Amino acid sequence: MSIVALIPAFPFAGALLIFLGWRMKGRTAAIIGSAAVGLSMASAITLASISSLSPQSGSAFGLVLWNWLQVGSISVPIGLAVDALSIVMCLVVTVVGFLIHLYSVDHMAGEEGYGRFFGYMNLFVGSMLTLVLADNLLLLYLGWEGVGLCSYLLIGFWYRESANGRAARKAFIVTRIGDISLLVGIFLLATSLGSLDIQEIGRRAASAWPLGSPIASLAAALVLGGALGKSAQLPLHTWLPDAMAGPSPVSALIHAATMVTAGVYLVARTNALFALAPAVQLAVAIIGAATLLVAGWSALFQTDIKRVLAYSTMSQIGYMFLALGLGAWTGAIFHLAMHAFFKALLFLTAGVIINALHHEHDIFKMGGLARRMPFAFWVFLIGSLGLTALPPVTSGFASKDAIVARAWTSGDPGHLLWIAAMLGVLITSAYTFRLLFVVFAGRGASAANAANAAHGSAHEGGQELARPGPLLTIPLGILAFFCLIGGLVDFPRILGGVPWFGTFLGTALPPAREAEAGGGSELALALASLGTSLMGILIGALLWRRSLKPGFVSPSSGIASFFKKGWGFDRIYAVLFQTPFEWLCRVNRRDAVNLASNGIGTANLAFSRVLRSSQTGMIRWYVAFLAVGGALVIAAAVIL
Amino acid sequence: MSASGYLGLLPLAILAGSAILVLFGLAFARQRYETAFALSMAGLVAALASLFFAWTGAPQRFTALLVLDHFAYLSMALSIGATIVVEFMSFAYFRARREENGEFYFLLQLACLGCAVLASSSSFASFFLGLELLSTPLFTLIGYRREREAGLRSAFMYLILAGVSSAFLLFGMALVYLETGSLDITTAARAASGSASFTVLAGLALMTVGIGFKLAVAPFHVWTPDIYDAAPAPATAFIATASKGAMAILLVRFFAPAGIAGAGPFAWIFAAIAGISMFTGNILALREGNLKRLLAYSSIAHLGYILVAFVASGNQGSAAVSFYLVAYFVSNLAAFAAVAGLSTNEAEADSIEHYRGLAKGHPWAAAALTASLLSLAGLPLTAGFMGKFVIFEAGAGAFLWVLVVILAVNSTISIFYYLRVVSALYRPASEAGTGSMSPRPAMPALAAIALAAMAIAIIVIGAMPGSLMAFIREVARDIASNAAAAL
Amino acid sequence: MNGLGSLALYLVVVVAIVGFIMVLTHLLGERHSQRGTAVPYESGIFPTGSARIRFPSDFYLVAMFFVVFDVAAVYLFAWAVAARELGWAGYAAILVFSLETIAGLAYLWKMGAFDWGARRKREHLERHGY
Repeated sequence: MSIVALIPAFPFAGALLIFLGWRMKGRTAAIIGSAAVGLSMASAITLASISSLSPQSGSAFGLVLWNWLQVGSISVPIGLAVDALSIVMCLVVTVVGFLIHLYSVDHMAGEEGYGRFFGYMNLFVGSMLTLVLADNLLLLYLGWEGVGLCSYLLIGFWYRESANGRAARKAFIVTRIGDISLLVGIFLLATSLGSLDIQEIGRRAASAWPLGSPIASLAAALVLGGALGKSAQLPLHTWLPDAMAGPSPVSALIHAATMVTAGVYLVARTNALFALAPAVQLAVAIIGAATLLVAGWSALFQTDIKRVLAYSTMSQIGYMFLALGLGAWTGAIFHLAMHAFFKALLFLTAGVIINALHHEHDIFKMGGLARRMPFAFWVFLIGSLGLTALPPVTSGFASKDAIVARAWTSGDPGHLLWIAAMLGVLITSAYTFRLLFVVFAGRGASAANAANAAHGSAHEGGQELARPGPLLTIPLGILAFFCLIGGLVDFPRILGGVPWFGTFLGTALPPAREAEAGGGSELALALASLGTSLMGILIGALLWRRSLKPGFVSPSSGIASFFKKGWGFDRIYAVLFQTPFEWLCRVNRRDAVNLASNGIGTANLAFSRVLRSSQTGMIRWYVAFLAVGGALVIAAAVIL
Repeated sequence: MSASGYLGLLPLAILAGSAILVLFGLAFARQRYETAFALSMAGLVAALASLFFAWTGAPQRFTALLVLDHFAYLSMALSIGATIVVEFMSFAYFRARREENGEFYFLLQLACLGCAVLASSSSFASFFLGLELLSTPLFTLIGYRREREAGLRSAFMYLILAGVSSAFLLFGMALVYLETGSLDITTAARAASGSASFTVLAGLALMTVGIGFKLAVAPFHVWTPDIYDAAPAPATAFIATASKGAMAILLVRFFAPAGIAGAGPFAWIFAAIAGISMFTGNILALREGNLKRLLAYSSIAHLGYILVAFVASGNQGSAAVSFYLVAYFVSNLAAFAAVAGLSTNEAEADSIEHYRGLAKGHPWAAAALTASLLSLAGLPLTAGFMGKFVIFEAGAGAFLWVLVVILAVNSTISIFYYLRVVSALYRPASEAGTGSMSPRPAMPALAAIALAAMAIAIIVIGAMPGSLMAFIREVARDIASNAAAAL
Repeated sequence: MNGLGSLALYLVVVVAIVGFIMVLTHLLGERHSQRGTAVPYESGIFPTGSARIRFPSDFYLVAMFFVVFDVAAVYLFAWAVAARELGWAGYAAILVFSLETIAGLAYLWKMGAFDWGARRKREHLERHGY
């Protein structure tokens, strides 16, 4: 079982090799990077098969590699915990990570900083695995910061554009607010419960804190703050759309499949805390539902293909938070895993399209790509069906319907959460199919042709664009395959499925609080959401038709622009925080605090100059020092 | 004396015997330089290996002169290990004129023997003998590159200053002997802890000057930068580590259990020395542009940190000193290995300006040097951090809040100048000025190995200090019980 | 106290007498300043050139060796007078000491430290290929 240590070790080793040999050929870096993640994936699969073949009672398995610090009763071991939850997360991270690495070998070829890219990606995968495998909060926090750092580095990968640097800083600073909340939460837990071990915290909290006690709520709220920042939920969500400045594989891996779902993982991991704080848990559900609607609505107005997907990611994570808030721990993780596959697929396909059209992001300049990029069309269609939870693609269908059904049975007043979830279903399918139609349907493609012509390409309109190479198509194909069948691991019972996934996760996470809904209503709910999805498709088609009208311009003002810019959150934050802060900085440019802190430095340097004058290099002075020092010591010895 | 008793003496005997062999090798072998290196290295490795056999027989006293306990063996292992690393970095450094340079290894080995004797001495006689055995080769080592005037000048400076400090030490010993009638160090230390007479106090004060000189703590530190700067980099590495370490071990072994550091006038004196050293060293280093001098100033501060743990005394203090010494050894050896490896026969790689752009040409060396500097600064996940951490722990455990606060403040100050060097490593090389050094020569293999090994040790100790810490605590517990048994 | 007092008195008297004599000499003594007064050999030859000339250090080296081995002999004598009392342990110790001294001697011999003068210089030149 100690193979678990290898899972994060391989990517870290890969990153180290790449960084230290950064003058190595780009090809070598790509091979090392992909191989490292591949080996890590192999280890994770081995671990998963071992532990699923020989399920242990209690199932949590710890491996303490070594003890880093020991202060009083609190020890900080470098320890890994293996249970169903971490195994699932490891599999998602390594499998998706490996496919994206493969994809990047071709996709990023010829970019400046090719080797650097793989170094960062490996570092990211290693940090993410540390995060999900950590058995104590401090190590988890280490991974948490690691992925944040990599996110920053990769968003700003094309650092020559200052806008990318700004986006990277924005992502880092906004998530940092959440990180600090988490850190304070960790301090609170460590001081009040005297442990950093996650399992131990859960046990001690359950026995020490009564249900709904203020301290439990505070701790849960602080942890939630961290999760909100990382997972781009309201109100800390503004960084994610801008984070699309990074390369497409980065968006797929970090900003869709893994890092942004770390918040979901964190809440699921610390579920014992949330169980003690029902109010906070309800807040989780409400925030999830709100994000789901707000972000989904914004997605309807986007014109940049990656920003559509970014808002969609926020909205889907909103679903996961909704599930967490309703106590459907396994449902949330299930949707996380399924979402990782179809959203990675969508982002990677978007990357293929963007590259084929010479870095064109505007969907209204695409159009009619179904004939010209058939492969991209088919895999994008599969991903879209997953996102809208439509059969025959099983992944989203199984996971999202479970959450919607869960919202129905949760018994919240007036089924408000269920209504939100259903609205979400409608919006999701509307924006997804708007995107699909606009990009792929019709003959349109005027802009795409124009782009071709401008670049002097030999392609005529309507002809197929350059086919993506095998290193691009194979990962896409595998991801599409997973989307098609992925849902089968936990298919609704009413449709003849077996909840393997839920049973497996059930060994690590507590069961949902209430019994499942009866068979009949489950079927009815599934049909209802199916119908809603279809309605959404209709809306999407209407939106597409409207855009085909002559004289159509993408919204640039008025209410549409307001939604396009994400409900003006950026504006609000700018007014509320940025402006006062900048004002304060301007006013305070020469304030006393600064003077004092500079003064310390200046005084030290001045003192240094004085002391240095004692270093004359003359022996007689040095002997005099010895003598005077000796006299002082003798005097001190005698007097004291 | 039983057979196992002589077994306990084996490490010292091997060190001395192989030094003679090196001498013969120098006299009779054709490839003098390589032979001397090989023989000396073999002797050091054999001595290191013999520690394992000697370990089981400890603790024991060998006549009135030596006490061979686990603590002594630990410090021997440190000195010998440091000497091995120093020899690794010397090989290419001195190779240019190899028919005249073989003696370096002979002298280095004698100095190492001096360290070993010093660390295991239990009487003033062996103390002084070990000290002189350590110092005498150092005079030559410092001025080893005769063609450099600064080196010769510094060698004489060290000769004179060491002579003066030895005079202080001897006079102090004489005064203590006058009062206690014993050359035994433990007895002397015990005499000082009670209501001591004026004579004993004065004697111990004079001895403090001698010891302080060797440790280079303020106000006896003035020689450090000049000697560090002028000596060849490997010799500097030896002075910085083995030479100071042996003296620190001696100090801890005798004065910590006797309680001299925990109470009475000398607690105040050492506390004052610690505080002044920390401030002096760090503040002097702030504006330094020469890496070797910077390391000299920083070592003043580091010995100040060690004295904090020394003043904390007790088991925890002794363990903290030992652990910090290990961290300090590996960090300093890594830094000097980089300096020695990057120096050429023409120019010593000592100006910080010289290191600009190192990351471009020698990414591994730059990474290792970064690790070493961060460890010296005490950043987490390095050996230096764990070292500072245990000193904090010891200081806080003994309620030395003022010293602990000074330590924290000084750690902050020190980060400034270490990061100045680190940032130089990653900045592009300046166009003018260092033109003579570009393209940089490749790093010699043995120096690179030494650098890599020390860098790995820094990270390993910083990331998983558990077993080493447990081992050192175990050994440190030995001191107290031996001191009690020696009565 | 009494003894110390008389010692102090003695010191005072000594300093007083010596001081008195020196002052008296200074006041009464004959002084002259002529051409030859300041030269090193007032009634001898005139000095030529500087006194700070470079000597070959071979003399110094040999003198050092002599002192070193002479001091070694002192230890041997010290052992010899108590040889029986010290027994075999003492014998072993002095044996080790002697061997080490001999090793040092062998090294110096081989290194040519005893070949001084013209022959050494010639060999040195030959070794360096002149």
